[in-house]
Formats: sequence, C-alpha cells, structure tokens
Amino acid sequence: MRNYAYYPFTAIVGQEQVKQALCIAMVNPKVGGLLIGGRPGTGKSVIVRSIRELLNPRKLLNLPLNITEDMLFGSIDMEKALRFGVKQFSQGLLGKANGQILYIDDINLLRPELLSSIVNIQAEGINRVERESVSYEEQTVFSLIGTMNADNGTLSNQLLDRFGMYVESENIQDVEQRKEIIRRTLEFQINPARLIDSYSQETTELKQKLTKAVEILPRMQLSEAMLILAAQMCAQAFCAGHRAELFLLETAKAIAAIAGRCFVLPKDLEAAAVYVLPHRMRKPPEEAQEETPDEKQNNEENNPQEQDNSEDVDGNSDDEIQENAAPPLDMPNNTSSEDSSSEGESKDNDTNEFPSNNKAPEELIAAINNSFKIPNLVLDLGKSSQIKRGSGKRSITRTDLKQGRYVRAEQPQGKVEDLAFDATIRAAAPFQSLRPSNGCALTLYNEDLRQKVREKRIGNTFLFAVDASGSMGARERMGAVKGAIHCMLQEAYQKRDRVGMLAFRRDKAEMLLPITRSVDLAQRCLSQMPTGGKTPLAEGLALAYSTLDRLVRADQNLEPILILVTDGRANSKLNDNENPVEAAIKMAQYIRKAKITALVLDTEKGYVKLGLAKTIAREMGANYYHIDKLSQENILRIVRNIGD
Amino acid sequence: MKRVAVYPFTAIVGQEVMKLALILNVINPALGGVLIKGEKGTAKSTAVRALAELLPAMNIVAGCKYHCDPFDSNHYCDECTELALKGELPNTTAKMKVVELPVSATEDRVVGTLDIEQAIKKGEKKFEPGILALANRNILYVDEINLLDDHVVDVLLDAAAMGVNTVEREGVSYSHPAKFVLVGTMNPEEGDIRPQLLDRFGLSVVVTGEHEPAKRVEVIKRRLAYELDADSFIARYEEEQKALAEKITVAQKLLPEVTFSDELLTKVAQLAIELGVDGHRADITVIKTAMTVAAYEGRKETSLEDVKTAAKLVLPHRMRRRPFEEGTLDWDKVESILMA
Repeated sequence: MRNYAYYPFTAIVGQEQVKQALCIAMVNPKVGGLLIGGRPGTGKSVIVRSIRELLNPRKLLNLPLNITEDMLFGSIDMEKALRFGVKQFSQGLLGKANGQILYIDDINLLRPELLSSIVNIQAEGINRVERESVSYEEQTVFSLIGTMNADNGTLSNQLLDRFGMYVESENIQDVEQRKEIIRRTLEFQINPARLIDSYSQETTELKQKLTKAVEILPRMQLSEAMLILAAQMCAQAFCAGHRAELFLLETAKAIAAIAGRCFVLPKDLEAAAVYVLPHRMRKPPEEAQEETPDEKQNNEENNPQEQDNSEDVDGNSDDEIQENAAPPLDMPNNTSSEDSSSEGESKDNDTNEFPSNNKAPEELIAAINNSFKIPNLVLDLGKSSQIKRGSGKRSITRTDLKQGRYVRAEQPQGKVEDLAFDATIRAAAPFQSLRPSNGCALTLYNEDLRQKVREKRIGNTFLFAVDASGSMGARERMGAVKGAIHCMLQEAYQKRDRVGMLAFRRDKAEMLLPITRSVDLAQRCLSQMPTGGKTPLAEGLALAYSTLDRLVRADQNLEPILILVTDGRANSKLNDNENPVEAAIKMAQYIRKAKITALVLDTEKGYVKLGLAKTIAREMGANYYHIDKLSQENILRIVRNIGD
Repeated sequence: MKRVAVYPFTAIVGQEVMKLALILNVINPALGGVLIKGEKGTAKSTAVRALAELLPAMNIVAGCKYHCDPFDSNHYCDECTELALKGELPNTTAKMKVVELPVSATEDRVVGTLDIEQAIKKGEKKFEPGILALANRNILYVDEINLLDDHVVDVLLDAAAMGVNTVEREGVSYSHPAKFVLVGTMNPEEGDIRPQLLDRFGLSVVVTGEHEPAKRVEVIKRRLAYELDADSFIARYEEEQKALAEKITVAQKLLPEVTFSDELLTKVAQLAIELGVDGHRADITVIKTAMTVAAYEGRKETSLEDVKTAAKLVLPHRMRRRPFEEGTLDWDKVESILMA
C-alpha cells in the first residue's frame, strides 16, 4: 500500500486547533500524545492520515483495534526459528514505532489493558517483553495520536490524564466553509493527484517549518519565570499530579519552535494550555456547588471527558459525580414552591396505600424527568471462572464457544479445542533443530499446543421491573423514577447492553418489552408507561424470576441483572388467604436461591416509612439504594448475588 | 462449477427506492453503500445478487488476490505494485461479485490470518487473505448487520473508512486495499445498529412488502415462473436487462463530467447546517448522490430534483443526534430550505 494517496494536510478547511496540535505532536514527542475528540464525520481521521506527507521520512503507523499481543509487543521470530533454528526477537508494532508516530483510530474502543500498556511504554520509552521463550528489552520513543467519538463512551480519567494534549474537531457551521469542504473532497475523489499537486507548494513550506522546529527544539531556552508561570496555571486548574506542568512546558516549547523562536514566551504557555489543561482540569468543591444545575448540564455536554467516569471508582472526579447527582427532586419540571411543600404532598401519597381512599387518578403517564442524574453504575461481579471485570463494555465473557476476539494464547489445561496456530508454531519453533524431522518444516509435540483465549465484549442484560401502581403515581415521583431508569438506559445504550422491561400494577405483572438489544424500544416503553392501581409486587417478582430463569437456561454465559424499582408497598393479592407482603418476600427468596443478581431502587416516600423495599432487597440478596439518597452515593455498585 | 442462475434484476416487482439506491452505488462506488431496513422476504438479497449479475465486467489484474484495477495505481496491493515496477501487470476482466459476510464469521476469516499450511510445511510466514480481501472492488453484503459482533463491526468500520485493511494479528503484519460497496440489511425490531456504523452508510432505504393485491399476485407469478423454468424466464427479461446495463455503463462514463451550480451547493450546505447533522458526510453524500442521479438519467447538470431524490436517501438515518431522540426527517423543512 505504498502508493496510497492521502488527502493533503494543507488542503483541510478550518480545524486550525487540530492542525496546530498535530504539528506540535509531530515536532515534539515529549508532549505525551494527542487525543482528538469530536463528532463523527468532522474529519478527525482524515486530518491525522494527512500528516503522512509532512512526516516523510518518518512514518505514521496505524494500530488496528484488533491487534494481537504478539504483534503489538513483539514475539519470537517464527520464520527464523523454524528455518534456521535461531531464537530471535521479532519486533512488534511498539518497537517499530521507535522514532515514528503511532496512530490509533477510535482509541476508546481499544481494550483498556492494551491502551494502558501502550501509554506506559510511551511515557517510559522502553518496551520490555517476556513472552514465548524470548526475553527482550528495547528503547522506543514515539508520538501517540488517538481519535475518538465520545458516543461510544470515553476513556477513563486515569487514561485521559496520560495524554498530553486533547483537542476537539469542530463541527463547522459556516456555509462557505462547508461548500469548500464539499468541493475539495469531490475534487480529491475524482483526481487525487491534481489536488495534491495544487497544494504541494504549501505542503513543502510547512514541512520545512516543522523540520526547522525539530532542529531548534533541543536548544530551546526555558526561563525560571516560565516554569513558575506553568506551575501557577496548573495550580489554578487544580490539576492532579505533576504531569500537567511537564506536558504544558513541552507543548509550549514546541509552539515556540514552530514559531521559529528558541525561547518560550508566556503566550506560548497560554496557547499550550488550550491543549494541555482542559481534560485534566478539576473543579474545586466550593466552586462547583455554586453552579446552577443548568450550567452543570452544559458542562457535561461540552466536555465529553467529564461525562463518563465509569472506570473511575476512586479517582478525583468523585466530587463532580456527587454534584451532578444533586438531590433528584430539586430539579424536576415543577417549581420550587411545590418543592418546599413536598412533605405535605407525600401525605397524599400515603393515603394511596388504602384502596378505599384512593384519590389518585387511575391512569397517569408521567414525563421522564431528564435532569435526573444518577451516580455511575458499577458492576462488581468479582472474579469467577467465566466472567471478569474490565474493558469498556461492562463485562468480558470468556467462553468455550469459539466466538469473540482472539486476544492471546495460553497453555491449555486438558484438551485443546480452539488451537492458536500462530502461538503453537512459535512455541514449537525454537526446538525444531532438536527434533526428528517429519518432512514438514515443523514437528509438533503436545507441549507446544496453545489455545486461543477469546474475549467477547458483550453488554450485560438488564431487566427492569417497575412498580407502576398508584402509590408510585404522584407525578414528580414517577418522573424521578423514569429519570433514574432513563439514566441507566442511556448507559446501557453506550455499553450495548440488552434490556427488557416489565411493569406491575393493578392485579397483574406485564412484560412491556421482552429482552432486546434495542434500548430505543425500552426508552419508548418507559415514556409511555402509565401508572395507577394497586401493587402486585409478588406477581412482578414472579414474572421477573421466570423471565430471567429462562434467559439463563438458554445461555449459561449470561449473567442478567434485575433492577427492581418499587416502594415495596405490596397490596394486591395473588390469592385470598395470602398476605401480599409475605407473598412478595417469598418470591424474593426464590430469586435469592436462583442467585439472580439484583438491585432494588427504593422509592418509598413520606413520614411513615415502612421500609418494605429494604426488607425485600435483603430477602432477595439484592443491592439496595434509596432513590432520594442516590445523590449521596459515589457509585451505584452492584455486587453479585451469591445466594445463601 | 456451473454458474448458478440468478433472478433478473429487472423482473423484481416494485421496491423502486431500494433498486435506485443499489444502482446509484454501483454507478458510483464512492457513495458509501446502502443500509436496507425492513422485514424478511422483501427481495433484499435477491436484488443485490441480481444487480451484480447485470453489471458489465471490470478490469482486474489477472491472478491478483485483491482484484486490483490495473489502471488505478493509487490502490495497488503490494504484489501489484512490484509487478507494475517490472511492467508486467497481466490484465483481464471479471464481473463485480457479491461477497457475503455471515453474522457468525470469525475475525480471522474477515481480516485474514497467518497461512498455516505455509508455516507448517515450509516454515514461511505468509498472509492468507480473508473476506475483506475478497470484497475489494466488490459488494460486501451483510445480512442482519445489526446482529454482527461488535469486534467485527470495528474491523468493518476501519476498513470502510480507510479503504485499507490493516492486519497486525497472529504473527502477520500486512495491509491491502479493501474498498467495497457495503450493503447491509437489518430488521429494526431486532435491535439497533451502532450509530457509528449507521453514519458510515451513504444511503438508507426502508423496504416493506407490497400491499397492493395485484402487485403481490405479480410477485408470486413471476417467482413461480422463474422456479418452473429459470432459463426461459431469464431470457424473457434479457432485453430489459441489457437496456439497464447499458444505462449504468453510460452513467458511469458520464459521471466525471457531471457538474453542479454554486447555488445548488449553497442549498445543500445550508440543508446540513439547518438540520444539524453531524460532520460533513451528509452534505458531501447528498451532492455526490445527486450527481449520480443526474448521470443515471443521462444529464450533465445536477438539478434541484436530483438533490431532493438524494436527500431522501441520504438524510433520514443521519437525523438522530443522541440516543433516544426520534430521528425523523422533517421533509417540509427540507423542501423549504431547498426551495428558498
């Protein structure tokens, strides 16, 4: 693929910030990597690929998401070992990247373990390999460039922090600019050579400028005053750790070098701050509290790096999470006056418990309270033989089925069912000169056999069992409940979970949505869910139990999670001589026995709390949270149900 | 192997929008493929296969695993690059093929992998091409694309975006051209397609079964006639098939000459801005599609009507900006922007 024509860097319309950031990364590998975010179709990948021409003779190496570990870190040279019986190291992509630029498209989809190794090696400049009978250490200095679209989830804060620079590609709104983009794109498609030619002058000039900058860089002067200024800027931004200062100074040096100076000015630091600080800025707690909810929302929308902290259990952003999860009932559609009278209102709710007094409207459809925020959901399913935590998606299932991505090879225990040919050959290769020949280049013994370790990134399966009885019907309460479910659904959407929904009210439980991958349908279901009538909690639990039981029987690898949203006030009977609460508790115990992992979201409100939902949760072996107290939790942790 | 008979494209009843979307993609493979949404049994895969059958043969390098175009030196594979340097590119022709990607395909078969036989017998490390290699310059057809495993989707996206398949797996490091017309089908009831993948499709169409009883009868009649005697059925449509093939060939030749006015371009850019679509794929694809429509109709100047036809194919699946938002295209708004 040597002749491949790439769109010229200098022909890119707009995107000045992205272009400058790329120039900085090309000039100074010490800036610690560049992460480019932005909406799809805004030209992120096109811009990155366009730097090839500027880099020459350096190379832009593409790291595909499906890379296997042997090819990334390096491994034994299979050919040399087989043909000449020598044990030699064959360089992986990280070694080949020495002196070059490493590029990862959709970096947020790369396995986090791999990404974290890559950033560590990048920071340290050394690749140490202990694999498949080779021990090797090599120096490798490279710049790292990643692009991502935050729709698929972002990187964890720890990983974000490792990137020196972050820049976002803009969604250009100017008609003339857009027209120019269309014209040039079409021209490039029809005749790439012609477009490249017409920008060759500019390309040459820019290339010279960058070459000169690389020459200047080692002689760059950095005054004490600049160091102090950098420290001040980072302190003001409440950056954690000291990486920020280093990255800030290196970036400023590159900016000065590109400008042709051999000393850093304050304006270089200011320009550098635009790339270095935003993704590592932390808000001091006092300030954050003064923000209005609206501002918070805007902040969230503008800074994708703040949105998803799903991996971040104990990071610095916990403050933010708490802030965002402000008391749920403060923010709904109703006004503050109603808010202050919420206690009086909840008395009304209490009367709903008694059918004869039921003054609540029979049927209500509450709107989803979209401003409702919940803490991050963390599945803490622990280590089991089949499932381990990790990866961007919630769980990685290791199955015996020959499905999923082959990530590494291991020595088999017992019979080999999914042979890893490449690893087997590498394992056998060094011993070929010692073994009798069988006519082939390779004589395999049993101990050479390796099998594939496959990982299938699957979302989890969530079944929402929602109490839609009259006692839940008070408009803003259901709004909050729907808001909470909406949050979970949104996460489910990002993580490609499967969801289902059932509601129980009046005398029956009803499957509103069978388990599906369409989170969209769940959302529609949720917004249309009416409330009213009594609470047949036991019926609801029974339906949930049978649904999940069937699911697990069909696919043993699944570990579905039940999310029960109720105030626990069961008052509708399955049969006459049974107490509805006791019936519910009995069902809850079945669920515990079946070891179904569950979360109970208690929505009970009012002066007199019966605490029935909590009892149900305990009997179910479920994780328990109260909807009003969600704001005080840093994370919503779901722990596996281990049964009795 | 005897060539299997293929139901003639021109004998397919109705489904005009889907047929148009497919034809536009073969005239201009740069449109970015088509996503066909709809129920089972609506002639989706029949149409795709039938279309490939009807196309004229294209130039390829004889013996090349990636069917490189001998006249397109920008997209040669490594072997062809070397052969070209020696000046020995053997030229032949072949029809465009429909390469099917089954939902259960494993990644090594999709991207290619280490050639085990070569490794064990000769101790050589060679690359064995996969489905993406077969798909180069062909149609890659993925039935029920919404059920495809995420990691296979990642690979598809990567290849579709770059036109190159980069392999760093299982002992081999290799890259080869992988430019294909992606045709995916899905039944929306069975789950969503990842927004990222959605955005990569140039066009999308929704197909439904014919509701008019007369047309339904016609569908069955033709199918029965075809099954009874495929050869004479195919012969009956030969004339129409030839005419369509000719029309497509003419359009392919005309396409590089098709122009558009600045006024039209302004309207397309405004359309994208006012509808708030992500990025630039929407407006670029609208104008490209409109140009292709013009070429298909034998014109050199793109008209406003062409843009409207294109907008209907390009915009609907790009309207949703966030999860859970109803992604509907407000056609009145489109008209008012275009007619302004």
